[in-house]
Amino acid sequence: MNTGVVAAITRKDIIDAIRHRYLLTAIITPLFVALLFRVLLPGGSTRNVLSVVVHDSGKSVMTATLRKTPQVSVVEATSADATVSEVEKRGALGGLVVPANFDADVRAGKQPELTIYVNNKKSSFEQTAFRRLVDQLVDSLVQRPAPARLVWIDVERDFDQPTRRAPALDQLLLPLLLIMTFGMTGALVVPLLLVEEKEKRTLDFLLASPAGLKEIITGKALTGIVYSVLIAGLLLGINRQLVRNWPLTLLTILLGMLLVVAVGLFIGSLLNNTMQVNTWASSVLLVLLVPSFPSLGLPSAVDTAMRLVPTYYLNEALKLALAGGVSSRIWFHLMVVFLCAVAAFSGAALFLRRRNG
Amino acid sequence: MNAIEVENLSRTFNDLKAVDNISFSVQAGEIFGFLGHNGAGKTTTIRMLSGQLLPTSGRGQVAGCDVVSEQKRLKPLIGVVSEHQNLYERMSGRENLEFAARLYGQTNRRVDEALEQVDLLERAKDKVKNYSNGMKQRLLIARALLHRPKIVFLDEPTRGLDPVVGREIRRLIVDLSNEGVTIFLTTHYMEEADQLCGRVAFLSEGRIVALDTPSHLKIKHGENLVKVTLDNGDNLKISLDDQDAGKKLQTLISEGQVRSLHSAEATLEEVFIRIAGRELTE
Repeated sequence: MNTGVVAAITRKDIIDAIRHRYLLTAIITPLFVALLFRVLLPGGSTRNVLSVVVHDSGKSVMTATLRKTPQVSVVEATSADATVSEVEKRGALGGLVVPANFDADVRAGKQPELTIYVNNKKSSFEQTAFRRLVDQLVDSLVQRPAPARLVWIDVERDFDQPTRRAPALDQLLLPLLLIMTFGMTGALVVPLLLVEEKEKRTLDFLLASPAGLKEIITGKALTGIVYSVLIAGLLLGINRQLVRNWPLTLLTILLGMLLVVAVGLFIGSLLNNTMQVNTWASSVLLVLLVPSFPSLGLPSAVDTAMRLVPTYYLNEALKLALAGGVSSRIWFHLMVVFLCAVAAFSGAALFLRRRNG
Repeated sequence: MNAIEVENLSRTFNDLKAVDNISFSVQAGEIFGFLGHNGAGKTTTIRMLSGQLLPTSGRGQVAGCDVVSEQKRLKPLIGVVSEHQNLYERMSGRENLEFAARLYGQTNRRVDEALEQVDLLERAKDKVKNYSNGMKQRLLIARALLHRPKIVFLDEPTRGLDPVVGREIRRLIVDLSNEGVTIFLTTHYMEEADQLCGRVAFLSEGRIVALDTPSHLKIKHGENLVKVTLDNGDNLKISLDDQDAGKKLQTLISEGQVRSLHSAEATLEEVFIRIAGRELTE
């Protein structure tokens, strides 16, 4: 392998892709979608910080407990009336108006009134979480032991995994956006770069130069990987609070990139012009993306069919890696991704060699 | 030593024999013409000799390298100008050559020299998509010469160019030959081959049907005639194979009847038609 030649091809393609409006659009689309979601769902990526507005004229223990609660941000309101406007203004989960002598009245059994505002613009999941939080806070004031120890178990959950809360929308979107990034660069940009070399006959020039098939394939693959790394890096940077296990996430991303770039090379080796790539790569891209769409309660047959798509395993691995779970299941998913990448690379090399041979 | 040696080289695509058992050799520094109809197998031969395509059978040696087993050694020694203008159109002329320079391990100074050689230095920063056909062709030649190859394959280098650019390119080919570079040239233009090539091979349906110097081919396959135009406007054709030819000519000249006298040697195109059975442009 001539590394200088590989570097030259990669450098050329990286620059050339930016000058190609269509390719540039494909490269930055996932980033654009991510930013769009941030604008449309501004609270999405700050799921772990629940903002609660409090007006407490009596310095209640409840407010102090709330302040110490992880992932809760307490915003103080200057008056009872200001609480509602602060909830609306800050897009908080809700608001509490704690009357003076609240703690003493509770202990005395006077049943003081606690006004709670719930932000109806928040999801039902968040509203329920807020109600449960307030229940726990009020219960804690009387300092009596819980009547029973509740064990919550998710039906059909992965028993290798520790129990975890239902993922928020951005946790579901991040794997989708990452797979979209790999798909756009790997399954669309890479085959277009390769097919354009065939269409414009520049592949003949490359093959007559010191570049062999190995160098050409590697150069195209590296171009796809460079753009995937760049966009995936930016996506992870924007959503860094969602990453619980960085090494595993990065390994999964690396294998994911290899998989989709290999699929792209395979498409590029089979097809001969950009129109064919635009038609076929879009379909392939859609198939690759479907397993990462947030679950829509599809029939089990569809779910089974999804398992035939390699990105199903990539998506599962990404979700587990982002959530920080290390188990035998993630290694199984990663192994499937790796083997599919090897198969696609081999297929691409075989078809290109056939063309030359 | 021969620059190119080909023995029984064949290439089949499915059931089609694109190149059928051809053998020839090209001497170092020679301009060798490879002429034939579209689809005769010229480009396939170039692709095999330049390591872009593997032969189905036979053997080819270029610059002392086997075209199958020694491609790594071969490629830096050859330059190829494709029949298609296969340049990177979104890149500038300079960027195209810089990319080629990186592939061949050449310096940017050499890029300037190559641009200068084809008179494109002033337009080097322009995008190739804005170049004229002639400029693109000159850039292709500059790219093929960038690494100073010993052998250059030129596939229809003047096709579709205006006569002035065509003449410039032909001059460049002669200059290269004078510098000792071996030129393997395919062309549709018989006058070009006649003018440039030391020897030519006629290719028809994948086979070499004739190989010789243009003058030998013309003599061998042309008519051995002299065309005489008389003062009264009559035209006479005198066969030089005729035993009385000299006497007849002498009589006409001495009687002062001859206005002009021309040899009726066949053109290379006529020879080609005679051998291949149809015109080159068909």
